[in-house]
Amino acid sequence: MGFVDIAAAKTLASSAVFIFITLLLLASAKRTRTCIVLFSMQGAVVTAQILATAYVHRSAEAYAVAFLVLVIKVLAIPYLLLRIVDRLNMPREVKASTTSAQSVFITAALILLSFLVIQPYVRAFNIDEDMLAAAIALVLTGCFLMVSRKKALMQVIGLLVMENGVFLAALTSTFGMPLVIEIGIFFDLLMGVFLMGLFVFRIRDTFDHLDVSKLRRLRG
Amino acid sequence: MVLIFPLLIPLLGAFAVLLCKSPRLAVRVALGVGALEMIALGNAVVRVYTTGALQVGEYLRADSLTAFFLINIGLIFALVLVYSVGYLRHIPEGRFSSPRWFYGLVFLFLFTMIAVYLSANLGLLWISVEATTLASAFLVGFYNTKGAVEAGWKYLIVCTVGIAFALFGTITFYLAAVRCGIPQDTALNWTVLMNAAPRLAAAPQLLKLAFVFIVVGYGTKIGFVPMHSWLPDAHAEAPSPISALLSAVLLNCAMYAVLRFDAITARALGTGFSHHLLLIFGGLSITVAAFLMIVQRDLKRLLAYSSIEHMGIVALGVGIGGPLGLFGALLHAFNHSLAKTMLFFTTGDVRENYGTLRMDRIRGMARTLPWTSGAMIAGGLAIVGMPPFGLFVSEFIILTAAFTKGSYLIAALILVALSVAFGAMLFHFQHMLGGESHTTRVRPKAFLTDLAPTAVCVACLLVLGTRIPTVLTNLLHGAMAVLQ
Repeated sequence: MGFVDIAAAKTLASSAVFIFITLLLLASAKRTRTCIVLFSMQGAVVTAQILATAYVHRSAEAYAVAFLVLVIKVLAIPYLLLRIVDRLNMPREVKASTTSAQSVFITAALILLSFLVIQPYVRAFNIDEDMLAAAIALVLTGCFLMVSRKKALMQVIGLLVMENGVFLAALTSTFGMPLVIEIGIFFDLLMGVFLMGLFVFRIRDTFDHLDVSKLRRLRG
Repeated sequence: MVLIFPLLIPLLGAFAVLLCKSPRLAVRVALGVGALEMIALGNAVVRVYTTGALQVGEYLRADSLTAFFLINIGLIFALVLVYSVGYLRHIPEGRFSSPRWFYGLVFLFLFTMIAVYLSANLGLLWISVEATTLASAFLVGFYNTKGAVEAGWKYLIVCTVGIAFALFGTITFYLAAVRCGIPQDTALNWTVLMNAAPRLAAAPQLLKLAFVFIVVGYGTKIGFVPMHSWLPDAHAEAPSPISALLSAVLLNCAMYAVLRFDAITARALGTGFSHHLLLIFGGLSITVAAFLMIVQRDLKRLLAYSSIEHMGIVALGVGIGGPLGLFGALLHAFNHSLAKTMLFFTTGDVRENYGTLRMDRIRGMARTLPWTSGAMIAGGLAIVGMPPFGLFVSEFIILTAAFTKGSYLIAALILVALSVAFGAMLFHFQHMLGGESHTTRVRPKAFLTDLAPTAVCVACLLVLGTRIPTVLTNLLHGAMAVLQ
């Protein structure tokens, strides 16, 4: 068994744990920058996992997907977000409505919950339990970040974390969708982040703050 | 090429318009591109009508259902384009609020919506629906006021989250198809899935899970209660032509996506599961929306809630099922888009003359704006389902379907909701139309570009209310054959 085989096997075995770690750190992070870096690291874990899958299954398509994830989720989107944070020139705290400790506890509970809800599907369809749980945990934590963080940019990050989860679910259950479709999804994602970035600037210019919880003009 | 042109023209047109520095030139180019697009769409519809379904490559396909919705989108878009000419004259000039940005984004929006209708692949369908959100977010926030920016942000975030759920649903659907032995390359292809639907019955839990996510996900874009929170804001804050496009075309687009999934699920597992889910969401939507219409203060929000109500009726029609229910539902989607377009067009005039859309501040419209008031009365009568307008016929068909199927509870629900909505509309409209106006008239007379689209809407609704054209009936029957 060569070195690469061992590396691939270990990556597949441990990537779920690394994803849980990034989630818990995201929950405790106090600055938007830290969250962006953590999102990038999460993307790196996903990339490593796809590379390992690609190696194990000898799939050229999976290598292409890994490359796309690396370029878009690890490099392009975090870079874009960091640029936005720099250019915004606004206070950089995430402004959570829960304390760090509470957020970590809630995230841990969400991780446990995701292990619970996937049980019937794991048994019926013979899917890697840890990875599917990680996928569901990503979706749930993404939702939690979106509702508990008040800054506009944190909502974008929550959304991206959620999307990571959906992507990972596709990867673990079906080895991903056809390549053309994946490319289209990534393109949409990139455009989405770009547009949301532009909107964040508009929010700053019209409201002079980025606190989404204060956007309450429209009701009823 | 027949299917490539309707996609290519708006895409290239968008960039062509963006290149025009002068507003006058931008408007002319936009009208030219629009005319070309109508020809391309007409050509595609005629080809589908005469020769049956068209397939281009692996990813594009047009069948009768597509053709039906292409007529819808083409008609509404042409009206919006003409109406915008007059409307845009009054938009304050800003960095991104010039006609070229407006038309450029509108054409991109059109491109994405036509892509929704033409995609043969459920993955591509998802990509296109997500793209409609991205293309229209800036149109919603076009005025750049506090309200518009908030509405735009809310629209972007809520719909993207919803669509992420739809992606999860699509993936689960794909997983189910792959598990049932359909090759990976074609497991998202709509026709393949439709033909292999009986085989999909081997994975019922996955299909059900997938369909729940699909309905919640695309349902967010349709505006099903309780995922509707973005809809009134976006409709109220967007420029009037965009409100018309959102309400009349975008909601139908999302409904079309649900219809495709519903057809596969119903064929695989029987109509029990998917149709019941649509009945639940539809019933919830019409009830909540009808009652919320009573308490609205803003004219466009009132119309937005009415859209939620009508999409609920469409969902109920599909949920009741059978040839009659589906026929009524599709026809109702078409009728609703015409009536709602017309009503949103009148709001443009109202805002211009009264400077507000707060209904308690609008009085005496019948005297100050006779033409607009006439249009509003006609539109109001049409939207609440009065004969001789088209909505009466489609609502009547859906109710007949409910009664023949023995779903008396649903029929009762529809009737109650329709009555409440009728009362709400009547109450608000008579308040605005009657009384003495406190404002002086700003504009001496209505422009031709304002009145002509409204006249076309009234004419179409009257035709649909008296005798449905044979072309449409044939397409509808074809569409039903596709879906069942």
